[in-house]
Amino acid sequence: MKLVFLALLIFISSPDETIKIKDPWVRISAEGQSTALFMKIENNSDVADTLYKAECDFAGRVEIHETYQKDDMMGMREVPFVVIPAKSTFELKPRSHHIMVIKLKKDIKKGSQEEFTLHFKRAGKITIKAKADEMQMNKMEHKH
Amino acid sequence: MKKNSIKYLVLVVVILNLLMISGCYEHFPLKQDISRTQNEFFNQDSNKVKFPELTKGKITLMAMVYTHCPDICPMTTHNMQLIESKLTKDDLEKVRFVVITFDPNRDTPEVLKKFAEIRDIDFSRWSFLSGDERNTKEVMLKFDIKAVPADSSYDVKGNLSYYIVHTDRLSLIDQNGLLRKNYVGSIADVDEVVNDIKYLLE
Repeated sequence: MKLVFLALLIFISSPDETIKIKDPWVRISAEGQSTALFMKIENNSDVADTLYKAECDFAGRVEIHETYQKDDMMGMREVPFVVIPAKSTFELKPRSHHIMVIKLKKDIKKGSQEEFTLHFKRAGKITIKAKADEMQMNKMEHKH
Repeated sequence: MKKNSIKYLVLVVVILNLLMISGCYEHFPLKQDISRTQNEFFNQDSNKVKFPELTKGKITLMAMVYTHCPDICPMTTHNMQLIESKLTKDDLEKVRFVVITFDPNRDTPEVLKKFAEIRDIDFSRWSFLSGDERNTKEVMLKFDIKAVPADSSYDVKGNLSYYIVHTDRLSLIDQNGLLRKNYVGSIADVDEVVNDIKYLLE
């Protein structure tokens, strides 16, 4: 009986896993400079969710950004949120949406694990650890 | 009838010649001399250098970036590193890598050095250059690179923060100071660039 109660308690108090963060990584960068956080956000629920804020304690500012192309020029701008539709995956990736990490208070060295907190409208706060790495260019599409 | 045959033969010879001539130049789309004028910069150690004289006689891969860029510019720089990693030690004797900032107000030599050091860049082959507005703009014009300040904001301390919309480019310059080819820097096909460098080395 005690075991059943304990199992029930664990089930009730377990975090909502409708949102899963997969393959988070942050680009290496130096103190005082900027970097970007990338990941796949998997929404397993039947309703859309919204990522509206990201935080970390080693940067002056953290914003949600998108990279855009205009003719042969590239730029980026802040966006207020990203929506992850029901039963789908949204990828924050190079040359696209990313979490912009501004004015780093420390070096982000290759291989280090950096903690970020993501805020979702439905799933709430999710804390992740992202591995610092460089871009794996060979994985990118080369056709343009 | 004979006259027509001669005309036809001449036409074939002309076409063949044109094909042969174009064949000689088709490997590279450009042949623009960029070494006639020099521009002054400070390298990552704050030493005064002139570009392109800095890499005279070497094959040069050149990109213009800014260090506040978290995505495109680091990708271009990393692509240059991947290209470097695919060249032999002998090849690398004849190749140099130059990164010039189009945001010199923020990208001082010290900032550029930090940007490079965190990426374990070998300064014996790489130069990171920061110059004044005139020299920066002249090089941008020469390489047809555009960079326009875009979205800006002030942080809580009142510091201005701005992003730059810019051309995403990597340029290949041959041993004779001729610009031979441009690539989309952040998604350049590393093997294509390596093959082009090897072609120039032959």
